Amino acid sequence: MADTATRLVIPKRKQTARERRHSRTGWLFIAPFGVVFVVFLVTPLAYAFYLSLFSKGLATGTAFAGINNYVRAFTDASFLKGVWFVVRFSLVLIPVQMLVSLAAALVLDNLTNRFARFARLMIFLPYAVPAVIGALMWGFLYSPSFGPLEQIFGAFGADAPFLLSPDNIFYGLMNVVTWQWAGYYMIIIYAALRGIDPTIYEAAKIDGANSWQVALRIKIPMVRSALVLILVFALIGTLQFFTEPQVLGPVANGTITPDFTPNIYAFNLAFKYAQFNYASAISFSLGAIVFVGVYIFLFATRKRGSVL
Amino acid sequence: MKNKALIAGLSAVAIVASLAACSGDDGGGSNDAKPTNCTNKIVNADAPVVSVWAWYPNMATVVDNFNNSHDDVQVCWTVAGQGADEYAKLQTAVSAGKGAPDVVMLETDQLVGFEIQKALVDISDLGADDVKDNFAEGSWGDVSQGDAVYAVPIDGGPMAMIYRKDIFEQYNITPPTTWEEYEAAAQTVKDAGGPWFGNLGSNVPAALTALFQQNGAVPFDYDLADPQKISINLDTPEVKQVMDYWAGLTEKGLIGTEDQFTTDYIAGVVGGKYATYVSAAWAPGYLTGAGVGQGDDAGLFAVAPLPQWDVDNPVSVNWGGSALAVTTQANDKELAAEVAVGLYADEPSLTDGWKTQTIFPLNKDVLTSDEFVNNQVEFFGGQTANKDIYIPAADAYEGTNYSPFSVYYYAQLQAQLVKIAAGDVGGSQAATDLQDIIVKYATEQGFTVE
Amino acid sequence: MAITAPHTARKPRHVITYVFLGILVVYFLIPLWFLFVASTKDAPSLFGGDSALWFSGDFNLFTNLSNLVTYNDGIYLRWIGNSALYAFVGGLGATVLAVLAGYGFAKYKFRGRDLSFAILLGSVMVPLTALVIPTFVLFSELGLTDTIWAVILPSLLSPFGVYLMRVYAAEAVPDELLDAARVDGAGALRTFVQVALPLMRPAVVTVLLLSVVGTWNNYFLPLAMLSNSQLYPITVGIGLWQGLAAQNNGGSGVSLWTLIIIGSLISIIPLIVAFLSLQKYWQGGLAIGSLK
Repeated sequence: MADTATRLVIPKRKQTARERRHSRTGWLFIAPFGVVFVVFLVTPLAYAFYLSLFSKGLATGTAFAGINNYVRAFTDASFLKGVWFVVRFSLVLIPVQMLVSLAAALVLDNLTNRFARFARLMIFLPYAVPAVIGALMWGFLYSPSFGPLEQIFGAFGADAPFLLSPDNIFYGLMNVVTWQWAGYYMIIIYAALRGIDPTIYEAAKIDGANSWQVALRIKIPMVRSALVLILVFALIGTLQFFTEPQVLGPVANGTITPDFTPNIYAFNLAFKYAQFNYASAISFSLGAIVFVGVYIFLFATRKRGSVL
Repeated sequence: MKNKALIAGLSAVAIVASLAACSGDDGGGSNDAKPTNCTNKIVNADAPVVSVWAWYPNMATVVDNFNNSHDDVQVCWTVAGQGADEYAKLQTAVSAGKGAPDVVMLETDQLVGFEIQKALVDISDLGADDVKDNFAEGSWGDVSQGDAVYAVPIDGGPMAMIYRKDIFEQYNITPPTTWEEYEAAAQTVKDAGGPWFGNLGSNVPAALTALFQQNGAVPFDYDLADPQKISINLDTPEVKQVMDYWAGLTEKGLIGTEDQFTTDYIAGVVGGKYATYVSAAWAPGYLTGAGVGQGDDAGLFAVAPLPQWDVDNPVSVNWGGSALAVTTQANDKELAAEVAVGLYADEPSLTDGWKTQTIFPLNKDVLTSDEFVNNQVEFFGGQTANKDIYIPAADAYEGTNYSPFSVYYYAQLQAQLVKIAAGDVGGSQAATDLQDIIVKYATEQGFTVE
Repeated sequence: MAITAPHTARKPRHVITYVFLGILVVYFLIPLWFLFVASTKDAPSLFGGDSALWFSGDFNLFTNLSNLVTYNDGIYLRWIGNSALYAFVGGLGATVLAVLAGYGFAKYKFRGRDLSFAILLGSVMVPLTALVIPTFVLFSELGLTDTIWAVILPSLLSPFGVYLMRVYAAEAVPDELLDAARVDGAGALRTFVQVALPLMRPAVVTVLLLSVVGTWNNYFLPLAMLSNSQLYPITVGIGLWQGLAAQNNGGSGVSLWTLIIIGSLISIIPLIVAFLSLQKYWQGGLAIGSLK
């Protein structure tokens, strides 16, 4: 029977001098990055949040608005329309991109000749092209007067579709984005595949598995973490869709409206209509949606037993 | 201890970085436009420098003319973008309180928007009033608010109808003088298997607004003296009539709806895809610069007055044209005003401007000169377009009342035009929707809408 | 037990995989091929209705090149120089910061470490627009807008780089080696430079490449920060030309479209060369980063 005198008390051990020094060194390594982080990320974000709590009219001055801007954002048809578009776009684009990247990576993992190395590089090449220039090139290729589509379809006696019309813009943009990014994702998956211990394949072969089964049952599960990583990046990037529709806007005959995606809407609000306050609120609202989206995704793909 | 080295190293890096950041080299703040940042050359290095944003193709010549003839001030010119791109940059600089040039080229429909933000200087006392008589009343009204003058006009865009002589001949059309005739002619051409009669791209809302005016509409009534009140009249019968008219032409397949100012559009013009081009006086320069009228289509264009709703009471309207304004961020406002008044105002520059078909000059000295009046425009196969069409239109122009939010208004009108082109909405409905949207925006911005 | 090498004995599938790969290669190369072909044309050929994907009569590549570098007193070269400056200074700076921070996160325990790292990861989700606008206002207070620092300083931020370095350092740098160095009397900095850094090289090169590419390709940030066209990077410069060309204001003589096309072609060459020459590094580096 324990009495109070012998109750076990474990005091918090004070850090030794060595541990304190160790800790401080750690901070010193982080410090340069940390300074830049605080100055160029935290401060602007805080300031943007501060801005979003005010509203400014052309005819009136600036006034404190509290959460009015956020209420306005979530009831703003333009914002909601943009959100709906990027959500729809993500739900279709990302699986397509993943499929292309995954298929390419799997194929390339099986081949080791020069053609495979060449193909790998060619598929990755678009990543080295700035999105602005890539969109410019596709704008040319999509042109009804100067692009190759008219000529190709004309050879079959049909009319080429205009891939930037309101009906087709979805696919027109999907093509440009897939072209731009599939190679980048492919390389990440490929690198992960290369990290798999080959003896596993041999064991599978002995068990009689063909390459389809090897791919599906072994390879894909083993690169799961790489897949999750890319999917998160793709989700974050696509929900913040900006550059390609912005660059293709002038050749799209008005299809790219000022509120086409939430980021374009925020950009126009800030730099065209000079509504920095509301633009900040829109950006934060978009950020909230991105955060929720990623969280839901990670939750849905969490490994059993992990804490998320 | 060895960790001292680490601390010292990191501190050194931090110090150097902050020093470098604070020195802000390479022309921090374009108010002190150092000569190295200019696209042009500074001739007199001792004179103070005024920064200018302007985009016309022959600005290099114009700026050189100015710099060579002035000892007391020099111009440092850059292209910050053309039209809307430049306005966005200026808007950003105005919002941030820094980064605007001393003098900026603006189309007249943008002036009120910047005036209400107190971004432009009233230069009536700084030299503008001295040149007032050089300009017609309508043009001067566009740059003034009461007695205050916020910019000096350079060029204008009186509207007319360019057409293809060969297509008109082929289908036996005489240039229509009323919009009814225009539609009838369009139908004739279409029935005979001909091309579109014209084009209404969604990206030319300013042109369409001018056409509203031509029918007697007054889309906006705004006076800077009473800055919080505005009258918005976009769903009046006059506006609806024009919207219905063009929506009808679209619906009947009589006109194209591609955006203008694209390579695809130019290809269409060259290929005779459009029988007419309802446009402004700077259109021949734009088209020539794009390669129109130089190949097989040389000499095939002519110009006629803009069709009217009421031939007995013709109305002239304006699309585009620009002016030079002084921003409140200018260091030396007097000097900047001198530039605004003097740049592109000398005869050599203006002559170069109209001879290269870059501008339709508003300066009366040039506008009334024999050479300009009787000019046989090459693009039109020698037609004396100035005398017959553009000058009368410019003279009869009475000015326009612009809103303080032209950028927003144009974007919304453009969105409606896209819907009309897709057949999603009719002309009248689009006008009503537009009215609702603009009124809502104006109210949100704190205006009292009447 | 017959251990067969992976690439033998699957003949029927070979054809399909090669065809598939071939299609992919063609797809990814078409725009670049178009760019190359278009660079050899002059304006009338570009817009004259010839096939977009094959050469026309004249071979104008060198004429276009010379127009490109002489237009507007060689502003294109200035833009390339700017891009290189921003990319290397910004990219190098970002890499240094990321390597230091990643190593710190990986190899040092300190209070608040995990929380800081979680905040770091969260920051990847911040929409860029939310940052550019207030950063612009911040910089204008300091008088830094329209300077090279307006582009370089924000480019020093690479949260993903820190993440990559942390993961790699944790795996590739054994604690025992660090302890051994400490026992030998080496200070933290020396340990880092002489022991850890060589082991982290693939990831360092990867982060360097990613940062350089990211800054080189950056469009939105310099677009908002700069109004002086002498300071534009190549992305914003070509965007400016495109805006002018659409309204046909290139000035006398030269058609801006030919310049835009050959300018685009030249601008992607440096990065492609960089990728080709540093292949073995970044492919390894990206591998570790993805195996969380």
